[in-house]
Amino acid sequence: MTSSPVKAQAAGTDGRAALKQFTRALGVAIVLLVIWRVTTVGLAEGYPVSFWISQALNGLVLGGVYALVALGYTLVYGILFMINFAHGEVMMIGGITGFFALQFAQARGWMEGPWPVVVVALLLIMFVGMAASVVIGVTLERLAYRPLRQAPRLVPLISAIGASLFLQYSVLLIFGVSPHSYRKPALISGGLRLGDVFIPYTGAIIFVTSILLMLALFFIIQRTKLGRAMRAVAEDRSTASLMGVDVNAVIVVTFMLGSALAGAAGVMLGFHNTVVKFNSGFIPGLKAFTAAVLGGIGNIPGAMFGALILGLIEAIGPSALGIPTEYKDVIAFTLLVLILIFRPTGLFGEVLSEKKA
Amino acid sequence: MPLETATGAVRTGLIAFAFLSYLILIGIPGRIGGPALPVLALIAALFFWLKLRRESNEPSREATGQRQDSFDDKPGWEIGPRAASKGSRLRDLLHTHSGTAPILYGLLAGLTTGLLIAIVSGIFAAAMGNGIAIQPVLDKIVPLNVAALIGVSPGQIAQSDVSFIRFIFQVLLFAGAGVLAGLTAAGGGYGLKQAAFLDRLTTHLSGATLTSAGRFAGMALPFVLLAYIAWLGLPGVTAFGTNEGTVRLLLTLIATGSGLFTLRLSRPGREQMAVAVLLGLGVFSMPFILDQFQNSVMGLVFIFVMMGLGLNIVVGYAGLLDLGYVAFFAIGAYTYAFLSAPFSSPYISGLLILLGISPESPLLGYWMALPVAMLTAAVGGILLGIPVLRLRGDYLAIVTLGFGEIIRLFMLNLGELTNGPRGILEISQPALFGHTPVDVTFGLLSSQGWIFLLALVSSALVAFVATRLNESRLGRAWFAMQEDEDVAEATGVHLVRTKLLAFAIGATFAGMAGQLYAARQINIFPENFSLFVSIDALALIIVGGIGSPAGIVLGALALKGLPEVLRGVDEYRIVTFAALLVIMMIVRPDGILPSARRRIQSPDPEEAGAAGEPELREEDPGLRENGEALAKGAGVREEDP
Repeated sequence: MTSSPVKAQAAGTDGRAALKQFTRALGVAIVLLVIWRVTTVGLAEGYPVSFWISQALNGLVLGGVYALVALGYTLVYGILFMINFAHGEVMMIGGITGFFALQFAQARGWMEGPWPVVVVALLLIMFVGMAASVVIGVTLERLAYRPLRQAPRLVPLISAIGASLFLQYSVLLIFGVSPHSYRKPALISGGLRLGDVFIPYTGAIIFVTSILLMLALFFIIQRTKLGRAMRAVAEDRSTASLMGVDVNAVIVVTFMLGSALAGAAGVMLGFHNTVVKFNSGFIPGLKAFTAAVLGGIGNIPGAMFGALILGLIEAIGPSALGIPTEYKDVIAFTLLVLILIFRPTGLFGEVLSEKKA
Repeated sequence: MPLETATGAVRTGLIAFAFLSYLILIGIPGRIGGPALPVLALIAALFFWLKLRRESNEPSREATGQRQDSFDDKPGWEIGPRAASKGSRLRDLLHTHSGTAPILYGLLAGLTTGLLIAIVSGIFAAAMGNGIAIQPVLDKIVPLNVAALIGVSPGQIAQSDVSFIRFIFQVLLFAGAGVLAGLTAAGGGYGLKQAAFLDRLTTHLSGATLTSAGRFAGMALPFVLLAYIAWLGLPGVTAFGTNEGTVRLLLTLIATGSGLFTLRLSRPGREQMAVAVLLGLGVFSMPFILDQFQNSVMGLVFIFVMMGLGLNIVVGYAGLLDLGYVAFFAIGAYTYAFLSAPFSSPYISGLLILLGISPESPLLGYWMALPVAMLTAAVGGILLGIPVLRLRGDYLAIVTLGFGEIIRLFMLNLGELTNGPRGILEISQPALFGHTPVDVTFGLLSSQGWIFLLALVSSALVAFVATRLNESRLGRAWFAMQEDEDVAEATGVHLVRTKLLAFAIGATFAGMAGQLYAARQINIFPENFSLFVSIDALALIIVGGIGSPAGIVLGALALKGLPEVLRGVDEYRIVTFAALLVIMMIVRPDGILPSARRRIQSPDPEEAGAAGEPELREEDPGLRENGEALAKGAGVREEDP
């Protein structure tokens, strides 16, 4: 530290170059190690191909749900540069509300009716869950984030953590501790059998629905005037406002879109996992955030692909590496760390994200 | 009364109803019991009054360059005729019609709230009277709660024996609350004067411009409290008729916190020295005065002070957002556990037998284990630091978060090494020259008191080291790096070394804290090291005031100490804490005691706290430009001397 500035700078760049080489070597070593491990395990265990296919399908279902939630993170981040830590709870509230809507529908006997009735009822249930999430998301923005728009970045993060805890424990107080269990209607409780591969109906529905919702979002963002306003605000808030974009309205709409997707994810996750309780949004929320970062936060296709990749890795990883399934979270986070080491702005992160990160 | 004001009043009533129904849903009326209805009405009145006060105050606040109320967030370009007219119309009414308009406003808002409350409680009561159970859906809507809300006995609800008059009374009560609020707001401008007085008072309190008499009275507070706490400890003495441990705990927390303010209020030089010595004596005598329970809470508070000081180096000084700080805490705790508990993993005991040491007895004492734990944690810090050197901002946050989770999952799943979820039991206690002071001091020092004392000494040490580091060359390098990495590198800061040192030193302190935590808990489990520990540590440095050691102590007292005092209302502890966290961030985002460096940077400490301008400058130049263009309030502030 006593050397002259010039020398120190040289040392600094040397350090950086050495570091880069070191990380590259490390990357190659890790990839080789993983390949070696996968081949040896694959040869030793000899799982049938159908096993891998059904694991991959599970992964895609999980990835679809993560993607819906990850989009909420990424949309908000793209515009406000803040991590909406309470987004997982927004999803959970969609799930809880969906549960009550389902109870209501079951009490009326809609779930035993002819299939068009059941389909319409299921869509209604999802819509109710989405609406509840939208209400919570917008309220959250109004009360906990909007007053902090000008604050340093850590401040809204702490506010979001507070909001997350508040929502979790309010749900605990209002609806009680015991988990609420979804009862699937007969129409969607079975599954499809293709050879040795079993595809549960819920899984297929979740995957298709999330793809449809993502396409809808993509259409809104790329093809509508509203989407153009959103992209403009994400690019440069002050210039957008000078061009006549109502920034506040755009931010509210962003929260609405993100929360609606999260609400849909909450309801679908409820059907898939069959239980929802006050803290069931936390871990999926964390995973979805991981997925958003994996793809390059602020980047919409990045969030989708990041989530699908994360879901796949989580489903296949433990068996492929021959380690217990309890380590699937370790694999997810390790993957994240590794990808960020080699691509510090995520898989699809561009120069744009580097500027903002 | 114009239609616009009327709709505004109804909206205010609706918002009040939404808030009150939240309180009803979480079961507050049932908890309060008899006086529940008047209490709710008072809350509504307070809300109406705040709303009236703000709406009538807004234009005058803008004129004086005060912070614009951020709830109504009207960025610069929107301050057009529409925005201005909305606030001023009510103000005109307030002044021209002297009195009647706000009262009508309050009446209307109160009627709205009261009617809705009456309808909802009527529905609940009717459902329960007809034997429909609401509880499976809404957990807290039980007869007790609804009865308290209507003001009858639970039995009457069950027999659906509630007279209609009750509901009319409810409506009238809330309408009365609204009128009360209106009267207070309108009373010949009295409300406005009072509001101005309150504003001035808050400015004075935080600006440390108390008069000298008030100053000395304030400075005496911690010592008076300490004396009172000591007196309470005498046998047979009770506080307010009860010898509640929590009362004493609360007083202890207040005494410690106010001590810090005293230190800040005292004049630098001899006076400050004297206060510091006296305070030190007072605080260090606490472990001997307090009982086991209070000592254990205070011990935890100061363990978190150490954590906060360490995390502050990483986040506050070096500007690296670390959400996985619990990892180093866990490493410290588990290292000590391995070295001192009878359970050793098959691996470790095998190693010990190889080395010819009996695995039954603890391997190292507390003091010998201390450098090992610190070193292990530091190595962990460097190992985390190397891969994340290139990451910035939120990417760094998520990777560190992942690292914290990885460590916890390993501790949970590596059964052979860490005993898995069953944890490591019977960790030995720290001793001094072969004796624990608990034996030597003839019961004056309880075992938890000893831990508290150790925590105090260690956190004082850590605080000293951290402060000196911050003022050293390294501290300036951290600061430069936090401001702008590229500029810092260009001016000769060795980024790799500076970052790694921040991670390593921060981790070392966490390791120390973790070791003491393991000794305090005696048994540790992976569940003790969840993500929430990181969040707690981060929240406490931000609540206290990032970069300021005194603020960190205050933050730890508030975040780890107060919840223990609130144990009596255990159910509502976390929601209260969470709501306070959000409110705190909105009202005072720089923390309770902001650091000196941050205060120096901005011309006016109060306003800097509100806008966070210097932080924006530090973290994101692009965002700052946006912020400046947007922040109308900030623009006014800069012109205003």
